Amino acid sequence: MARAAVVGAGMTKFGVHDKPLQELFGEAALPALDDAGVEPSEIDAFYFGNAMSGQAENDTHLGPKLASHVGMAGVPVQRFEDACATSSNAFKNAVEAVDAGIHDVVLVGGVERCTPETGQDTAAMTRIFASASHRQYEQPTGLTFPGVFALFTKRHMHEYGTTEEQLAEVAVKNHGNGALNPNAHFGKETTVEEALDGPIVADPFRLMDCCPFSDGASAVVVVSDELADSYDAPVDVSGVGHATDVVPIGDKDTPHVTQAARDAAAQAYEQADTSAAEMDFAEVHDCFTGAEILASEALGLVEDGEGGPAAEAGRTARDGDVPINPSGGLKAKGHPIGATGTAQLVELTEQLRGTAGERQIDGADSAVAHNLGGDAATTVVTVMEVRQ
Amino acid sequence: MSDRLTHGEWSDAVESGELLGQTCSDCGKTQGTPKAACPHCGSRALETVELPTEGVVYTETTINVPPVGVEERGYQVAVVDLGEARVMGRLSDGEVGIGDTVEVSGFTEDDDGYVAPAFEPR
Repeated sequence: MARAAVVGAGMTKFGVHDKPLQELFGEAALPALDDAGVEPSEIDAFYFGNAMSGQAENDTHLGPKLASHVGMAGVPVQRFEDACATSSNAFKNAVEAVDAGIHDVVLVGGVERCTPETGQDTAAMTRIFASASHRQYEQPTGLTFPGVFALFTKRHMHEYGTTEEQLAEVAVKNHGNGALNPNAHFGKETTVEEALDGPIVADPFRLMDCCPFSDGASAVVVVSDELADSYDAPVDVSGVGHATDVVPIGDKDTPHVTQAARDAAAQAYEQADTSAAEMDFAEVHDCFTGAEILASEALGLVEDGEGGPAAEAGRTARDGDVPINPSGGLKAKGHPIGATGTAQLVELTEQLRGTAGERQIDGADSAVAHNLGGDAATTVVTVMEVRQ
Repeated sequence: MSDRLTHGEWSDAVESGELLGQTCSDCGKTQGTPKAACPHCGSRALETVELPTEGVVYTETTINVPPVGVEERGYQVAVVDLGEARVMGRLSDGEVGIGDTVEVSGFTEDDDGYVAPAFEPR
């Protein structure tokens, strides 16, 4: 028995959007409702994620604003904020609610704007993003989020010999996948040479190692296992793990292992009675190329230290033995913070239905999503499977 | 009154060129920043300890795209391993790598008056 099922999915194109948050969210939520074939009146509750709209746009208390806009004023709405893991935490709570019998049909989604359309330039948005690092014990150093993952990645390079070329291979792969995704922020392929020629943001990361600032929204309709078969195209949610780690980075035992991801993955695999070896592909939180390498190891898709060589050897390509980020990932699809988690689940839903078009992973039956927040201090890992 | 280490005391020490941490009397782990309870075992029996002001660079990066409020570019941030604990700080000399020995050389302060230790090669 599944914990829940996704019966509808929708997302906007990720990129630059000159429209208010509620309109952007409507462009994901209404298609998700239509995909599920449910009316707003059938929705019992709304689980919603947005990380930074108060800081970026002076726009808070979004729950009832968005519910009003999409025709479900009156439903209980809960908003989640867990940095980049925001909407996957909303999803986790939604799954728990239907699994526990509290609700039958719920809407889950996220929306965020991070581009200069918010009125915030790169330096201002870099500071807003950095608010997810420790205010007293990390931010005063001038740490940025590229810097956070650079600290993890350089230690990984020191321990295992991971190279800048291997990081560039991740960017090349994800841009290639993104070029096949009509909803991706970047639709252009790149090369290792181009990636290695870019300006340094925070070493070892160059421009092409970093995800963009994006605007966008995503949504899924989640129903209980008992109701799933009454919908046209249910996809099972078999497990959702969620763990945190110590903040700040200096107090983590071994920062580059991203322990929260390992703990969350163990929970998700156990709930689903499955293992990393059974996963046909993964959507992971590649906010930076190094983050994908760390995630591939933390999820058990490759051995520790093998993330770099696996990327270089093409093992993580769509036709490899452990395909990672067929959507293009955060790197190419884009990263509107609060929309990223549910967007990964939109990709899992489409792939497991076999409707992902040119980027379809043939015969995908099981997949895992990994959504990480802050200095790797929150991670939610979700296993979804074709409904039996 | 608790004598548990506070951010204010930790910051005063940083401004004096010293580093304070907490050792858990129950599980024995030491942290480089103040907490109300041990993050590993939950014990409130945390003893304030003076940490060494010399250590080895555990990891580092040079940041070229700063947040608003930081005027410089190309500054180096590191996690320094002090033996029983690690702490994050600035490296005042930009050519330091993982494994290099560094010592406290001062501190940096942000717009809101929050401080971080600075280190230089020894």
